[in-house]
Amino acid sequence: MILFLTACESDLEQVPISSMSSGSFYTTTDEIEEAVNGVYNTLADYPENEFYLTDVRSDDFYVTPATGSSVRSWDPISNFEKTIATNELVEYPWDNDYNGIMRANTVLNYISTDIVTNQDTYDRLLGETKFLRAFFYFDLVKLYGKVPLVDNLVTGDEALSIRRISVDSIYVLIINDLTDAIDLLPESYSSSDDEGRVTKYAAEGILARVYLMRSGPQLHSDGPCLNSGEYDKALTLLNDIINSKNYEMLDNYANIFGLEYENSKEIVFDIQFTNGGYDTGGEYPGLINSSNNYWHTIGYSPAIGTESVNVSEDLFASYDTLSADVRDNFNVIYNWYNSTVGYSQVDPVVTKWCCQDENTWGSDRYDFALNFPVLRYTDVLMMKAECILQGASGTQDEVDDIVNDVRERAGLSDISNVTLDQLLEERRKEFFAEGRRWPDLVRTGKVLTVMNAWLAGSEDYLSEMPSSIDYTSIINPIPQDEIDIKDGLYDQNEGYN
Amino acid sequence: MKKKNCIPFFAGLKQIVQIMKMTIFLTLIFSFQVYASSYGQSGEINLEMNSTLKEVIESLDKTSGYHFVMKYDEAILDKKVRVKYTNESIKYILDDLLKNTGLSYKIIDRYIAITADNSLQKVVSQQKTVIGKVTDVSGIPLPGVTVVIKGTTAGTITDSEGKYDITKVPGDAVLLYSFIGMKSQEIEVSGRNMINVIMEEETIGIEEVVAVGYGTMKKANITGAIAQYNAESLNERPIQRVDQALVGQMAGVHVKQTSGMPGSGLSIEVRGSGSISANNEPLYVIDGFPLEVSSQNSSGKYDTGNPLDNINPNDIESVQVLKDAAAAAIYGSRASNGVVLITTKKGKVGKSKISFNYYTGWNQAQRHVKMLDSEQWLDRAYDVMNQTYLKAYPNASENDNYDTRVANIGSFDRTMIPDPAWAEDGHPGIDFVDWQDEIFQKGAISNYQVSASGGTDAVKYFISSDYLDQDGYILGVTYKRYSARANVEVKVSNKITAGINIAPSYSVKNDPGVEGKDSQFHIALGMSPIVSTAAGGAEFYNTGDYTTYTWGNSRNSPVAVLKNTIGKTKNFRTLTNIFGDYEIIDGLHVRSSLNLDNTDSRYKYYRPAFVSGSLSSRKASGRYVGYNRQTFVNENTVSFDRTFAEKHNVSAVAGMSYNMTKLDYNRIYATDGFGTDYITTLNDANGISASNTYTTETKNVLISYFGRVNYSYMDRYLLSASIRRDGSSRFGNDTKWGVFPAVSLGWRLSDEAFMKNAEWLSILKARASWGISGNNGLGGDYEHIAMLQSSDYSFGGNQVVGLTSENIANSDLSWEQSETYNFGLDFGVFKNRLYGSIEYYRKSNTDLLLNINVPASTGFDNALTNIGEVFNHGWEFELNSKNFTGNFKWNTSLNLSFNGNKIRHLGPDDAPILGGSFDINHNILKVGEPMYSIYVVKQIGILSAEDISNGAALYGSEEEGDPKYEDYDHSGSISADDRQILGHPNPDYTWGLTNTFKYKGFDLSVFIQGQHGGTLYSTFGRAIDRTGTGWLDNQIQAWAYRWRSADNPGNGLKGNAKSSFGRIKNTDWMYSNDYWRIRNITMGYDLKRLIHSNMISGARIYVTAENWFGNDKYDGGANPEAVNTSGDDYGGIPLAKSMIFGVNFTF
Repeated sequence: MILFLTACESDLEQVPISSMSSGSFYTTTDEIEEAVNGVYNTLADYPENEFYLTDVRSDDFYVTPATGSSVRSWDPISNFEKTIATNELVEYPWDNDYNGIMRANTVLNYISTDIVTNQDTYDRLLGETKFLRAFFYFDLVKLYGKVPLVDNLVTGDEALSIRRISVDSIYVLIINDLTDAIDLLPESYSSSDDEGRVTKYAAEGILARVYLMRSGPQLHSDGPCLNSGEYDKALTLLNDIINSKNYEMLDNYANIFGLEYENSKEIVFDIQFTNGGYDTGGEYPGLINSSNNYWHTIGYSPAIGTESVNVSEDLFASYDTLSADVRDNFNVIYNWYNSTVGYSQVDPVVTKWCCQDENTWGSDRYDFALNFPVLRYTDVLMMKAECILQGASGTQDEVDDIVNDVRERAGLSDISNVTLDQLLEERRKEFFAEGRRWPDLVRTGKVLTVMNAWLAGSEDYLSEMPSSIDYTSIINPIPQDEIDIKDGLYDQNEGYN
Repeated sequence: MKKKNCIPFFAGLKQIVQIMKMTIFLTLIFSFQVYASSYGQSGEINLEMNSTLKEVIESLDKTSGYHFVMKYDEAILDKKVRVKYTNESIKYILDDLLKNTGLSYKIIDRYIAITADNSLQKVVSQQKTVIGKVTDVSGIPLPGVTVVIKGTTAGTITDSEGKYDITKVPGDAVLLYSFIGMKSQEIEVSGRNMINVIMEEETIGIEEVVAVGYGTMKKANITGAIAQYNAESLNERPIQRVDQALVGQMAGVHVKQTSGMPGSGLSIEVRGSGSISANNEPLYVIDGFPLEVSSQNSSGKYDTGNPLDNINPNDIESVQVLKDAAAAAIYGSRASNGVVLITTKKGKVGKSKISFNYYTGWNQAQRHVKMLDSEQWLDRAYDVMNQTYLKAYPNASENDNYDTRVANIGSFDRTMIPDPAWAEDGHPGIDFVDWQDEIFQKGAISNYQVSASGGTDAVKYFISSDYLDQDGYILGVTYKRYSARANVEVKVSNKITAGINIAPSYSVKNDPGVEGKDSQFHIALGMSPIVSTAAGGAEFYNTGDYTTYTWGNSRNSPVAVLKNTIGKTKNFRTLTNIFGDYEIIDGLHVRSSLNLDNTDSRYKYYRPAFVSGSLSSRKASGRYVGYNRQTFVNENTVSFDRTFAEKHNVSAVAGMSYNMTKLDYNRIYATDGFGTDYITTLNDANGISASNTYTTETKNVLISYFGRVNYSYMDRYLLSASIRRDGSSRFGNDTKWGVFPAVSLGWRLSDEAFMKNAEWLSILKARASWGISGNNGLGGDYEHIAMLQSSDYSFGGNQVVGLTSENIANSDLSWEQSETYNFGLDFGVFKNRLYGSIEYYRKSNTDLLLNINVPASTGFDNALTNIGEVFNHGWEFELNSKNFTGNFKWNTSLNLSFNGNKIRHLGPDDAPILGGSFDINHNILKVGEPMYSIYVVKQIGILSAEDISNGAALYGSEEEGDPKYEDYDHSGSISADDRQILGHPNPDYTWGLTNTFKYKGFDLSVFIQGQHGGTLYSTFGRAIDRTGTGWLDNQIQAWAYRWRSADNPGNGLKGNAKSSFGRIKNTDWMYSNDYWRIRNITMGYDLKRLIHSNMISGARIYVTAENWFGNDKYDGGANPEAVNTSGDDYGGIPLAKSMIFGVNFTF
């Protein structure tokens, strides 16, 4: 009898029949591969999360003044309100990044050469995972400054004693992970099935971006800039990418965002989307341009959402409308015939992600196929120019050449003796709505001067915004939900309540 | 992975050998304690006395194991005797004692009758002789019953076949029949020569035996809190489900009828609810077979069946509810919500008995929800339209006619322009409709039941079959049940008994979608009570080729929908248990049982196109959902029961069980309509929804070891201790096993010498218990495991599979724990004319499962954790009295329970948890408050112009005539922050009162029950009692007495019909859930008084009225206990009231 029950007691180890569970998973190369795919999956919300907490705060966008129930979540963010700790859009990137970090930590917890016996595959999977973990932490540092550091799987109880640590300490993990990734990852992939996977050069490019951010002036003691003077380190990495000859600028600006040119030589790292109802589509095109009427006008039928953020007049003005800047009309449309109301109207909307190719549209607003570029070769080149302008080795000619290549593609004439401000202005136009504007302003230390100059303007829509912002607006508040979990675990960022 | 097949069905032999090894082992443990001690006719009685004959006999009565029945001349008994017997037989002693006394004796089994000399043998032929047979209620002959002519000493006792004859009986004599443990009876001879008597057990007889977990116990020796339901009335009252019969019957057992649908499971709560997110329903054990615990979902439904589904109430012999941990802890990790033990009828040795029961009748809605009638609705429509019109066109007049209004507005607008037909005489073309009248009907019920039982020494059997056919009181609702049962027990040898109980059943229920949000009852109440004839009238409104009425709703006629929609659930269930019992030595039994509960359920839904959607887009919808649930249990026990030295009684049971439940679920959903309205199966569907079509399977295993010891000293000092160790696959890897101990003590004070003088006191017993039990109803079988979710990605346009954890694995996840202290007092006074019990308990449930917030740095927002604590305490009273016992009998039984409930601990910081669906949350879990306290804004009147000028706090754009709310946070305006705790859903006390009357073959019973002190929050109000409701939808009748102007302010509860501020959850949807109800009135007549046939041994005819009288305070809905949408009432239908006529025949 005792024997009988002892035998039966193993029956108490039941595992789910109809769903996979961690207990029985992570035992083969394929399963580790699927877990790594799951880490990539966390990237899907990155474009819109980045849009709301960077572009919407920048001088490129504003919100229409609203009251009562028509106030949208992005309104107080755009308006630099200090009570946004409870805002869902402040919470999303925090949750999403840590979810990605947990997924990466899960892979790192289970991966071993016993399971993934092919050394190349092992290196790649480990490199991809480390890259992605660093990527999520870099996002956290940029958005929130000091954050808790979690580099393994933790339970709820354990997490209750993990406090926020200095930005510097987070950067240690980021740099280590990216350095490991550079060593582990291949330079390129031969199979088209691997298009979109991170490469050694993607890791180098993101690490260069990390160095640029670290080197920026420290306007906020808990902010992402440490005034570290690492422009040379960045330049070395960028030159390595350039010297590989694996990448080049496409001749046609629009093609960079064309479905048929996806995975072109312009792209160093992007977020991959596919439509067709597989849950692998993107939502960001319909969030960045959330004008239902516009979408219907161009023939897209699923519901998109409500009117939300508007493109600022400052941004239109930055494009020289008299000249033929191809990026202007490609990125934004000002005046269009609204087929729903039956007349033309001035209502600037972002057209960059929606309008080239109906094939990018999917079955609903979560199912767009267009990849979202995170690091373009043009950016690599322009970061090089930035490093040189910030004092890294190199010449003004190199800077001018890079900027003029970008201007030529846009249909603009050459300029010379390009300054950091001019470079920034060019980047603004080039990378509009790609989530670059705000971090560019932060890492160059121009954020307060540029924003305050804009906020001091007299446009009606600025009426809801403060007339100026101070350094506390450089980073966002810690989500209130996180602070509420345990008294005293996390303190709030300066300036927020 | 090595796997062993652990199910003895299939891997049998080896286990049987092992069970036998275990048996031998346990035999050794017990047998060294065993020594012989018994009585027998042959002997060994020791007695030495010097006293009266009467005292000697009394002494023998106490010590010999025999019971004396004495009807004799007292004088003789006063004779002094001096006796000394050593190891003598009873026969020897009696012969010696009674010599020369003129008394003789007769031994029948354990009874000894002492009567005047020769009266047993003599037949005096010249006198009138009465013969007859005495049996118990099940027809078994009763030997040893004393039959005496009232007022004389003349009498006899029945023989071994229960037969008697008694001579010299005067024609007008009354015969007195008495027997230990049975109710005495007086019967008038009335010139008859044959009188057959059926004797009933005393309900509080000392020998009454009740089921406890893994065995039975004398009721007198119970030390825990056990509630009993007198199942006899199951046969006398036409009910469809057992749980329905339990409503209001037992103190501490709160049975809530959360649905009015026939065949639906009720919710049973034993001693308050102790869990926040896990199961709150008790464990059901039928004939020793613990069934899988299932809990009601937030829609008030048992998704995968209720353990009482398809069980025929007529098959039930007794129901006991184990309330405290001491009684229930033997069921370990499933016992914290109480255990309901159900025993089905068994055959008894004796002549076969066939009984036939039939009843038929009708049921109808117990009440209507009072809505605005058509005139009142029109009055409100004019009011709203005129206000809208005058606000938009201040120079217009409310007397403007149709054309003037069109001219002013510039076009037709139905929100400001009424239908001119409304005002015309007889409102041509417009039907006034009471939708409840339209969808209600009188539903017929009938039930046929036949059973046969009987037995010999070798085989005992009970077989029954049953057919129930019920039409609901709402169109389209039907319920049919076919069930059968065979309980057979075979004595294989002197030592071995084996048996099988098998109960197959099949039920078919049709529910076209009646209860809950957006179901047809909700729609019927909310629809405007007028329709145009042109749009199909009430019956065909907006169906088929009819479109909507210009001033009408966009819904389809609920009448047409109910008549044409199929929502059919077919359940085929078979409950089987097989057992074998081997008596190794006297009192030591080994028992093994195999039990299987198999349910196959199929649900088919089809709503035809012609009663769906709008004229331009009518599309049929359909789905097919089913499950198979199998619970397999193997239990093996060793039990032992012995009395030592006549004073020490020890009974013990030890065992193990293996329990496995597997659930397979499948569903197919149609999309895009069907090809035609003629084919209702999914092969005709235009598409199948991929995301809603799937199968899933889950499984859980529970392995247990348990034991209990009862010890009593002279039946006076009682001790019971039990322990169970449960291992469950549902628990985390570090917490697989839990131990659940319990101890209870009892003291029968009335048996003490110092109480002997208190003649009026029959029974007084004090009890105390402590125990720990658990709740493993964690909501799922795999809650402790990190499940993986699909998180796909794409590379180069090709989808790749990604999988990631969707929750934190919790290797510490475990049962919720419940610790109970119970104190009880059982009493009986005046020869048990009045008896009852009082209980007090304190129950603390800890380690409650909560989804608590955790730092997102874990990768997740929340994690399922054992952390909360809830405390329940209460008093329970049960009182039974026999008010009259003569020809006119009147018995009363009352139960009354008080329960208080308080949250002691929530998450790590005890932060309150808000809940309640729709708009803002309306209930709160807060430390120090009862569970799910109602948390809403308080309405304190109607805003006057003066209030507004004084700066009264407003909600949004409120104006004069809108409701006035209390500014609880003193912020100057009304918002969700002004919510306050204003009530709690659990009643403070519940009660039930039954009065039964019997007179000359007539019997009448009246059962009233009720509850008080609770509060309900009706989200149904969101549909039928909403501020700002337009003129179109109907509202509850209270809106007829609304504020109309400062001069005509109404009753101060409802504001202006036209408002635009919206709504905030407030006290307008809050009601007391107090109610009282005369649940049942039954009147019967014993037909045996009219039919004198030997063939028929029992016949009764009766009529029953259920739910005809009562009162509650719920004006915003139909059933104050309803649960159907997100844990609240949002469209619950009324209870049924019924009138039923029945007959019972026993042959």
